[in-house]
Amino acid sequence: MTRKPPPTASLLAPRETARRLSTRLGRRSVLGGLAAAGSAWALSACGDGGSSASSAGAEADGKVEDALNIYTWADYDAPEVLSAFQEGGGPTLQIDSYGSNEEMLAKLVAAKGASGYDIVVPTGLFIPQMGSNGFLAELDRSKLPNFANLDPQYLGQTWDPDNTYSVPKDWGTTGFIYDTTVIGRELTSWADFLDAAQKEASGSVSILEDPWEVTCIYLAANGIDPNTSDPAQLQACEDYLVANLAPHLKGFESNPGGSAIAQSTYALMQCWNGDARLGLDGSNEPDKWKYVFPTPTANIWMDNWCITAGAEHPDAAYAFIDQVLEVDTSVQELLYIGYNTGLKDIEAKATAAGLDRAELVFPSEEVVARLTASVLNDGHETIVAILGKIRAAAGA
Amino acid sequence: MTALDDRPGTRRAAPAPARRRRSTSSALLGIWGALVLVFLFLPIAVIVVYSFNTGRLLTSWQGFGFSSYAAGLDRPVIRGAIATSVKAAVGAALLSAVIGSLAGLALARRGGRWAGLLTLLLGLTLVTPEIVDAISLLGWFVSLDSDAGLPLFGNGLVRLVIAHSVLSTAVVTFIVRARVSGMDASLEEAAADLYATPWARFRDITLPLAAPGVLAGGLMAFTLSLDNTIVASFVQLPGGTPWPVYVLSALRAALRPEIAAVSTLMLVLTLVSLAVVALVLRRSGDSATDVARTLTGGG
Amino acid sequence: MLRRLRAPHGALALPAWVFLLAFFVAPVALVFWYSFGEKPGLFGTHSNEVLSFARYGEAADATFLATFWNTLRIALLGTAICLVVALPFAYWVAVKVPTRWRGLLIALVLVPFWTNFLVRTLGWQIALSPEGFVSSGLQALGLRDDPLQVLYTRGAVQLGVVYNYLPLMVLPCYVALERTTASLREASRDLGAGRWRTLTSVTLPLAFPGIAAGCLLVFVPLMGDYVTATVLGGAKGNMVGQLVASQFQTAQNWALGSAMAVLLVVFIAVTVLVAAAVALLVRTAVRRGRRVDLPAVASARVPAPAGGRS
Repeated sequence: MTRKPPPTASLLAPRETARRLSTRLGRRSVLGGLAAAGSAWALSACGDGGSSASSAGAEADGKVEDALNIYTWADYDAPEVLSAFQEGGGPTLQIDSYGSNEEMLAKLVAAKGASGYDIVVPTGLFIPQMGSNGFLAELDRSKLPNFANLDPQYLGQTWDPDNTYSVPKDWGTTGFIYDTTVIGRELTSWADFLDAAQKEASGSVSILEDPWEVTCIYLAANGIDPNTSDPAQLQACEDYLVANLAPHLKGFESNPGGSAIAQSTYALMQCWNGDARLGLDGSNEPDKWKYVFPTPTANIWMDNWCITAGAEHPDAAYAFIDQVLEVDTSVQELLYIGYNTGLKDIEAKATAAGLDRAELVFPSEEVVARLTASVLNDGHETIVAILGKIRAAAGA
Repeated sequence: MTALDDRPGTRRAAPAPARRRRSTSSALLGIWGALVLVFLFLPIAVIVVYSFNTGRLLTSWQGFGFSSYAAGLDRPVIRGAIATSVKAAVGAALLSAVIGSLAGLALARRGGRWAGLLTLLLGLTLVTPEIVDAISLLGWFVSLDSDAGLPLFGNGLVRLVIAHSVLSTAVVTFIVRARVSGMDASLEEAAADLYATPWARFRDITLPLAAPGVLAGGLMAFTLSLDNTIVASFVQLPGGTPWPVYVLSALRAALRPEIAAVSTLMLVLTLVSLAVVALVLRRSGDSATDVARTLTGGG
Repeated sequence: MLRRLRAPHGALALPAWVFLLAFFVAPVALVFWYSFGEKPGLFGTHSNEVLSFARYGEAADATFLATFWNTLRIALLGTAICLVVALPFAYWVAVKVPTRWRGLLIALVLVPFWTNFLVRTLGWQIALSPEGFVSSGLQALGLRDDPLQVLYTRGAVQLGVVYNYLPLMVLPCYVALERTTASLREASRDLGAGRWRTLTSVTLPLAFPGIAAGCLLVFVPLMGDYVTATVLGGAKGNMVGQLVASQFQTAQNWALGSAMAVLLVVFIAVTVLVAAAVALLVRTAVRRGRRVDLPAVASARVPAPAGGRS
């Protein structure tokens, strides 16, 4: 999940760090976002296949439809929240899952907007382009009374300053988890990750299916800005990962928390903090695992509820989003998925409700201060291609 | 398809040493056969056993119970996926049975250049990699739907039925052709001499004779559709996800025992439909070999 | 009379023509057309404003070729293993097993074929996991000290594809062997041929069309498959079908994906043609060498090619 929420930093990090962080991040993501949006817009204006979304969806008329189709990250909502929404003649939910923003976009673009999905959950950096190309509906805030429950710190992000298209779902960060019975020493950085992958954990490593996250391993380990679009740096990144990481890989796993941690499928896995927690909860021997918020930096991302421009069940979509913004529901969500859902005082409420492994859900100020928000820029096609080459090299 | 097998009535007695060698080789072959059968059934047995797992994850055994069956059948999305699969399979079976049977009759009764070309085309549909069918149909459906303005092709079920029929029409055609080409054309000729209209001839003579082949082909198409994953995952639309695509998607997240439970039920369903075909074919007098040959499309 | 019968029969093929032209020929032609285009920016999938062969250059890069060779190796090895496993089995069913049991055995072979292939693969995944029962069983028996590490290896991929495609090899082989009736084999022996001679000179040559059909039915779908390999093979299961799929499902580059698909089809066709040519040459050579022994029998009873499907 290539995502971002800078303002979290201002909440959690010391005041100075927060100011520095949010200026730095803010300027870069605005510039990057605008540049990418501009080029996409210009390019899509020419060419028959470069079509914007055509929306032929239904109007929101206040009557909740009998179905709702959600396209989201795998295992990303509490099952009891989903079943509660469907109970008592509520809409039937169809939830399909993806492992990267690119995959979600591909589905929408392939269908020229008429994908059939009502709600998608993109990471912040993808929202400007999706919005300006007509894939997302402008939200009617009056249909979301629980919007007021959100902590203002998380609203008005650089990618959607007025929350025209998006409602924060949750935010988190990326790291890795390792089996201490296989890797005896302590790992703390991405450089350690690469080193262990080639030594103790060789042949038992999984990485995410997200191009940004994968290239970030090398870039961060070498002190390079993970958002770089410098061709020389990306070439070096490709050369290193294809030659030195790919041969040691056992799998590409977006959700190690699903079953890989419980089954000890790998000894070393790149994964998101909430997902790691989910995996530890399902494991019979959680103590043998150690999760790392790696230095020097990692992604800080925010995923958002968005309604598609062609949504056929808009009222059900509003009803669902409003439901998950309700305080008790949000706590339930947090207790399951293990990501900060961004409501006011959610940390205290979740802790009171018996949250386990809170240190994974709410990283320390020190950790948050060093994170970098992912940005969509000119390097995007290159990093997508790099991931493809790593896959080929790993399989050869 | 014809009963040409000249099986021996009695086996000639072989000299004693040869018999011993023969029994050794027979025993070895028998062991090999049993091993292959075990190999074929091992993972299915695993799935059936694990469908009674009461744990959260399919893969880690917690205890025996029926909770997964209850949970699987209770979830609207799973029920919806199975309903979509069955509807698409019935639709694909009907569509390809009609198109394929007619083509099979035509090919069996009429040779020539066009017949050869049609056979070639049908053969190509069978050997085209599924991923190629998948991407080409996706692009084609999207074009028909949004560029040509035919909303019919924006319907997920229509897409699935058509896509699966493309994959199975050839199977039906070849099964029916095999069936009909083994039959004598003189009955139809006699009917024609007796001034039966072409339609009456078709209805009263050709169709009843071809019926077992049509049925076998249709059920074959039904099962092929029920099993199809790659093409379905490309052309499907949300809200109309068929069962195999649901399983594929569930692979990404945690695998729950419900998957195994529902799969076991689907297996029983498929077994019943296969048994029905076999029974009908047996009734109509085919030997076991012919049944197998018909079921696999081998002329 | 015959003329009266023929006219309507020709028309019966019309729906098939229309259907295949509309939903097989046209879509594939569309893919062919896309392959000459390009990807117009982040939110476009394809554009044919500028036509070029550039996508083919990109498609046939080192990544594609490496993956293609990997796929080809898995497919050829898979086909070969399927043949080695299936042929004795089919021979056993067709020759050794009493007639009344044959139908049941063939039905049993069909049962796995008709369960969802993903679910079958999952069954293997459970069986082979390091904490699965095969692993603990082997350890309990003292055959292994450490947990089984088969999952997500090339061996697992090979096992999975052999398993999933085995019935497609067994059935045509069985049908072909079943046709080489016992009387032929006995005739061969009466003419003085030994058992081995009978097998290699009579039975196998007669079963050749079935064997060829089986190889084709296993090899071609296997080249385009990628789900089996990914589920069991993890990173080691990267197949060329996955590359094509990811151009459509992730990179949204339909032009490049189409070019890859066209290359895939061309490569498969070339491989099949080369294999067919080699097989025919071998067969001709073998026949020429053997013809003296059993001329009348061998040439009189060659059945029509077994597979309508081939």
